[in-house]
Amino acid sequence: MRGITQWENTRISVRSIAGSPIRSALTALGVMIGVAAVIILVALGRGAQTQVERSLNSLGANLLIVYSGEPRGTALVRSNTANIRPTLTEDDLAMIRAMPPELVSLSTPASTANVQLKFENRNIAASVVGTGPEYPDIRNFQPIYGTFFTHADLERRAAVVLLGAQVYRDLFDAGRDPIGENVRINGVSYRVLGVMEEKGSAAQDSSVLIPISTFQRRISGESNYAMISIQAASSEVMHEVQAAIEQQILRLHRLPSMDYADFYIANQMDLLSTVAGVAGTFTLLLASIAGISLVVGGVGIMNIMLVSVTERTREIGVRMALGARPRDITAQFLTEAVVLALGGGAIGIALGIGGSWVAVNMARTAAEVSIASVGAAFGFSVIIGLFFGGYPAWRASQLDPIEALRYE
Amino acid sequence: MIELLNVTKEYQMGDTVVAALRGVTSSIAQGEFVSIVGPSGSGKSTLMNLIGCLDTPTKGRYILAGEAIEKLSVDRLAELRNATIGFVFQTFNLLPRLTALENVEVPLVYAGVPRAQRRDTAMEMLERVGLPDRARHKPNELSGGQRQRVAIARALASRPAVLLADEPTGALDSVTGEEIMELFQALHSEGSTIILVTHEPALAQRAERMIRMHDGEVAEDVRTGTQSGRTAERTPKGVVAPPKGVVV
Ligand SMILES: Nc1ncnc2c1ncn2[C@@H]1O[C@H](COP(=O)(O)OP(=O)(O)O)[C@@H](O)[C@H]1O
Ligand SMILES: [Mg+2]
Repeated sequence: MRGITQWENTRISVRSIAGSPIRSALTALGVMIGVAAVIILVALGRGAQTQVERSLNSLGANLLIVYSGEPRGTALVRSNTANIRPTLTEDDLAMIRAMPPELVSLSTPASTANVQLKFENRNIAASVVGTGPEYPDIRNFQPIYGTFFTHADLERRAAVVLLGAQVYRDLFDAGRDPIGENVRINGVSYRVLGVMEEKGSAAQDSSVLIPISTFQRRISGESNYAMISIQAASSEVMHEVQAAIEQQILRLHRLPSMDYADFYIANQMDLLSTVAGVAGTFTLLLASIAGISLVVGGVGIMNIMLVSVTERTREIGVRMALGARPRDITAQFLTEAVVLALGGGAIGIALGIGGSWVAVNMARTAAEVSIASVGAAFGFSVIIGLFFGGYPAWRASQLDPIEALRYE
Repeated sequence: MIELLNVTKEYQMGDTVVAALRGVTSSIAQGEFVSIVGPSGSGKSTLMNLIGCLDTPTKGRYILAGEAIEKLSVDRLAELRNATIGFVFQTFNLLPRLTALENVEVPLVYAGVPRAQRRDTAMEMLERVGLPDRARHKPNELSGGQRQRVAIARALASRPAVLLADEPTGALDSVTGEEIMELFQALHSEGSTIILVTHEPALAQRAERMIRMHDGEVAEDVRTGTQSGRTAERTPKGVVAPPKGVVV
């Protein structure tokens, strides 16, 4: 005897499912919602993660920042460094610049101060950053209009300035060309070279940039720097560079260890991995919540399958009397559960992708559907069908043919 | 064909044991037409279920076509039900969602017969029971007599050696019951081994042999005389040749 084929089993299952469409839809509903929830929540988690990573990367590539002051966490961008006593020296900068290009690509010092800006009859408070011409490349912060100041401007302590996007809007009428105009910083006149791109960060958009030499001479009167921004040659060497710089500055500052340090180094990599870790945990949490709903969906399938086995006791008896083996009955109900779960899963995937699309295009939320989550959801559906269909199917196969035939 | 040796069947009912069969010994040869009669509760259905491999004896031996069934696995029993036995029930037991043709196909599905061949065989069986034009009807679109014909076609589909019918006319009016009975007689004359349980003495008389059950025992086992040996010239007019594969 050749026995029934899986194809025939599938046909029987599909017919039985199609025979009671409403009940089948309700049975699969749990899995449908669970799968859709997994896909949407994972998409939202990943979207948030990518967004944070993108904004971190927009700070610059392979960025290390040496800050003045006692070590404080890993904040890459300090909201206000103006009132911290600058401790980084010209020797520190020279040491960093002497490092081989395999380790450090670019570096530039920076100091900040809070100032009054004046143009014509407008007067605003802003922060001024004194820095070097490498700054736009290191911090990935370019002029959108005009050009940045040059080494020559730095050499001759030129009174030139680049305006943050917000500063430009505050000082100038919309559409007015600011290049060549003179703005006053603490009463001294600076010629405008251009306007910086909008970063969406108040710290950057509400500041103006001038050469560090000019800053030291005219604003701070201080030869130390508040910070030094460094672009490492690659992400692989960042920790090496950080360790080397820490050691060298400790030596230059004659300090025994980082416990006594008057500086600290923020590392973009650490921050990225912290954020990635947090976002990953977040995504996992969302996925687990959604996963629970998948399990609930599976229990729904089991529940209905148990009822279905009871209701179809007589059918099972007839099939057994006509030659169905216990394993044929198991296969029939297991197939039915898997087909239901897969059907629910497929609709759930469509809903999940649709829901993510709505989140991106209508609700303007970051959401990224991952192929992995779609695949996992699909795989989960099969497993749930097998797992939660297994017990009802086994129960069906263990029925006694005579009892089953006699069942009313 | 069928050999029953001191077969006992007991059911556990709470603390008490009910003996449905108390040492039945009998043998039925190939091609015989046997009716089983007896009062309600005398063990007729229990005996039929045992012969049909739906159940196994508590004690005693049952040998079907040379195989001692108490030694067989559940899978082998299923195979025997599929290929060697054809069962006809009092309440038809058709699958309500399937058409007549699909119902007849069910045993062939479990035998692994390919679809096209299955269709042909099932159609042939429906023709045999006189219902070729009802192939696409669901059971609830058929009369009781038609449903029982479909059930008989289904029992015949795998060309079994033995056809078992437990009160097949019990749910039918007497005219329809008569038609079904004629169908069994025709099948018998084509060579089928038939065992039929019935309440009605008139119907029982139409078999070759009658076994009367009483209280789980064989009370009487007689030749009925209205029919004797099976011979080809007793084949009613218009009945087609015996189905292939039926052992004569
Ligand atoms: N599954 C069962 N459990 C308990 N007792 C049963 C069972 N099946 C049959 N019996 C008992 O066995 C006896 C014979 O039953 P059955 O074979 O159905 O009789 P019949 O078909 O001749 O009316 C009856 O007394 C019945 O109550
Ligand atoms: Mg009975």
